[in-house]
Amino acid sequence: MSEGQLERVLHEIEGVQVHQTRPRRTRLDLPAETLPALLELLQGRAGYVHLSAISCVDWIEEAQFELVYHLWSYENHNLVSAHIRIPREPGVYLSVYDLYRPAAFFERDIHEMFGVRFEGSPDMAPFILTEWNGPPPMRKEFDSEAYVNEHLNFRDYQPDWLRELEAEGGGIAIRPEEQRFSRRDEGET
Amino acid sequence: MKRLEQIPVKGEGRGNPLARVFDELTNFCRSRSLFILHYCTGCGAIELPPAMTSRFDMERLGIQPMVTPRQADILLITGYVSIKTLKRVILTYEQMGAPKYVIGICSCTVNGGMYWQSYATAKRLDEYMPVDLYIAGCMPRPEAVIEGMRHLMRRIENGEARGWEDYYRRYDHYLGNQQALFGDDWQTPTDVIAEARHYGLLGEQTLGPHTELLQQVQRPLEALEMRLGHGPEHES
Repeated sequence: MSEGQLERVLHEIEGVQVHQTRPRRTRLDLPAETLPALLELLQGRAGYVHLSAISCVDWIEEAQFELVYHLWSYENHNLVSAHIRIPREPGVYLSVYDLYRPAAFFERDIHEMFGVRFEGSPDMAPFILTEWNGPPPMRKEFDSEAYVNEHLNFRDYQPDWLRELEAEGGGIAIRPEEQRFSRRDEGET
Repeated sequence: MKRLEQIPVKGEGRGNPLARVFDELTNFCRSRSLFILHYCTGCGAIELPPAMTSRFDMERLGIQPMVTPRQADILLITGYVSIKTLKRVILTYEQMGAPKYVIGICSCTVNGGMYWQSYATAKRLDEYMPVDLYIAGCMPRPEAVIEGMRHLMRRIENGEARGWEDYYRRYDHYLGNQQALFGDDWQTPTDVIAEARHYGLLGEQTLGPHTELLQQVQRPLEALEMRLGHGPEHES
């Protein structure tokens, strides 16, 4: 296997933009509907047998999800990242479980964290989050701080603790204004 | 026959200097032989190996690591407690035999620390179990950990570290906070109310609306099924 095979495969797919970001790192941008065909060719003819991850990016202003399929070839020692964009609503895409078995875990994880549904994936049940009734937490519209303020309690600051510590001979050893970074800033100016 | 708690207890001025000598001896011995449960939740656990091993050497204080909760005295929570972990922490805590002490290490156990806006992290450990001592810092150095341990030893020796009794006396409060996180069907294998009766620590706030809810949804424990090899549902 060689680099030539990857290029031959890429010629067969329409609308693929190839960008060699670094040595041994290839970025592909392609339309969403051509991705299954590309993966099948990459796996069958170019030696990209290892799907190391699927990652998801929420582009809320463009109303799109970006899915990135990371594929590794043990023969070429090359990492191919195939980027596709799907509309944020309804957020449905095809599963690649029939090509790559590990995709089941990645798709289940993305479904839980972003709410993207993968048709044909064997299991879309909750995965890592426990006791979770809220929206998918990694979507950009989810306000984590507001959720925390609503569901969990914080402790108020009580200055007595410091007095108790000082009574026992402890306390703040280095005040914030005397800390190393503050001193360095003074020396520079 | 009078009930035990109705018998009046005289104060310190009883005049017999040896009256509490057995308690004091017990407290002294307890404070000199502490076993830390090896349950490391967050990043603060990385400060424990230097604290235990030859450089700072906690063993000179009689503090040693222990692998099982039933044989341990101290539950160290060394960092952030995610909600998933908190379940296991509570199960572990309830399995430990009394007297038991909880130490919260790092800022995360005090108030969430750097995970203060994380949806998956519990903020205050003492809402869910009584904490005897907090060691603040991100992370506290081994000197601070050992200073905290010495503080706990002093409190045990003086008979002040009684957080575990609070868990039985105010179980309804702690259970309510646990139910708020884990849902109304939350239950543990340990029967805390029966233990409170056993220790004679059934207080006014042991039972309440939350324990009533627990008793409504409580299912009897079932033994785990023993099976060799794979079951039929695992065959593909």
